[in-house]
Amino acid sequence: MDVALSRRGLSRWLVSAILLGLVLVILYTSLPVSSWTWLWGRLSTFATIFLGIFIEAVPFLLMGTLLSGLVDVFVSEDWLARLSPRRALPAALVGASLGLIFPICECGTVPLTRRLFRKGLPLPAGIAFLLAAPVLNPIVIFSTAAAFGWGRMLLWRLGLSLIIAVTVGLVFSVEKEPINILRSSAFEVELPMLEARQAEKSIPEKLRRALVISTDEFFEMGRYLVLGASLAGLLQTFVSQTSLLAIGNGPLLSVIVMLALAVLLSICSTVDAFIALSFAGTFSFGSVLSFLVFGPMVDIKSILMFMQVFRRRTVFYLVLLPFLLSLLAGLAFNYLSI
Amino acid sequence: MSTRAYRFLQVFILAGLCLFLLLKLLSGKLSLYINTRFLPLTVFGIVLLGIMALTLLRYRMAGDNHEDQVHHDHRTASLSGLMILALPLVIGILIPSRPLDAAAAATRGMNVSAPLVGASSTSHQFEAAADTRNILDWIRIFNSATDLSPYLGQAARVTGFVYHDPRLPANQFIVSRFVITCCAADASAIGMIVTWDNGNALKESTWVEVKGPVQASQLGGQPIPLIKAVLVQPVEQPDQPYLFP
Repeated sequence: MDVALSRRGLSRWLVSAILLGLVLVILYTSLPVSSWTWLWGRLSTFATIFLGIFIEAVPFLLMGTLLSGLVDVFVSEDWLARLSPRRALPAALVGASLGLIFPICECGTVPLTRRLFRKGLPLPAGIAFLLAAPVLNPIVIFSTAAAFGWGRMLLWRLGLSLIIAVTVGLVFSVEKEPINILRSSAFEVELPMLEARQAEKSIPEKLRRALVISTDEFFEMGRYLVLGASLAGLLQTFVSQTSLLAIGNGPLLSVIVMLALAVLLSICSTVDAFIALSFAGTFSFGSVLSFLVFGPMVDIKSILMFMQVFRRRTVFYLVLLPFLLSLLAGLAFNYLSI
Repeated sequence: MSTRAYRFLQVFILAGLCLFLLLKLLSGKLSLYINTRFLPLTVFGIVLLGIMALTLLRYRMAGDNHEDQVHHDHRTASLSGLMILALPLVIGILIPSRPLDAAAAATRGMNVSAPLVGASSTSHQFEAAADTRNILDWIRIFNSATDLSPYLGQAARVTGFVYHDPRLPANQFIVSRFVITCCAADASAIGMIVTWDNGNALKESTWVEVKGPVQASQLGGQPIPLIKAVLVQPVEQPDQPYLFP
């Protein structure tokens, strides 16, 4: 059965590779030379941007999966259950501030959140952690301050991220069991694991175990980093940013354009403040702020990672609610010109 | 796919990524992709990838596969799922690393206003001798100095690639550099206008050194420094094609 599966997989790969090769040969013979040098130049631009995002994000993803592996091996369910508040609002608030202890960005929060859910973290806390941790953590606070100074942009970014994360966390508190929002595979795969852990082991054994778990998670989540980086790379190579910025005038459109940019550019939250700074000259305070609040919660790669962990309906709300709230916040700033 | 084969492929890809990053690091090519101040993070990544590959290899060899069914149902244990993580390796090996060029600048647009100053910028570019300032230093001066007059007429000597902006007349081009804050995804092109009669003959994306007195000019309504060139000579692409603020 195993052999048959892998054979089928291999032959499918071979067939697609041959088809791709054929298409390339036909294109090569039919297109003029000039378009090939153009394409080659574009391809190298794409490769540079793609690898740029990937190389930049890989250490953060590794950090997240490593933490997740360590949490799995060393943090017991009892301990977590005793410490986490039962009521929704305190749970959401605690969840949103967990990022101060786990300094990771959005690539790392998804695997860690799933792990904490499995360990019995209450739903509002997990959701609030998922959305707030990429901003409410020491590294991001520092990088935002480095870009904008210790001023109102930093304060509003932190405040709004906290408010939105807690709000969405509270919305999700209507569900009682995490299993209702997670994809079923996210739970059942783990079952043999529980038994394996019963036989307590020495510290080095446990560390090894944590490393194997984080490796598996790196492969699981890494795919979405690769896909997200490819999409962002393609967009940045072929869609002109100036045309996007040209439509971005007016209090409503500017916010929508910046929200779209936040999703499409998929920049890591630890550094997005510097990117936002380069827009601060052309875009209103409200739109740049909404970029800084929404981008760490939702972008191409995090949506893809959400889909691996959560049910479709959950992903829909996880994208829609922060979008609407960030839009609202951006509009409020633009219209009230605070 | 059997657990053994799956684990072996994982080790292979982890080791591949580790070596790939290590080679890029040692050859200095990593700075074509990310800002050099993030290199310690990459080193951390390389070490962790190496440790993961070794742990997994020993784990596999030790043969305690009886508990190695975790994370490993038919949905996730697919060949294509693994191969996606080999994609960065394939792209990195097949497509030779080349810095972003004028074509990329055209897509991204010339970021004349370049508010890249950031709170971390010091005033050293204001005091530096005029001919040691790079393009970023000049742009910062033009964006932040309240009075430009002490700088006008100073002799600049900057290196950058040629970018023919469609808004400029035939005797002008832009000598440009990419500024990278974090990684290539946030690269923005900055530049200074160069007035040079043979400017049109210069090929797009070629690297040049430009010398001449600085004047104030405008591009798309934004202030931008202009060099009235006395000398434009082709140079080798610098080891470090990007500028890091």
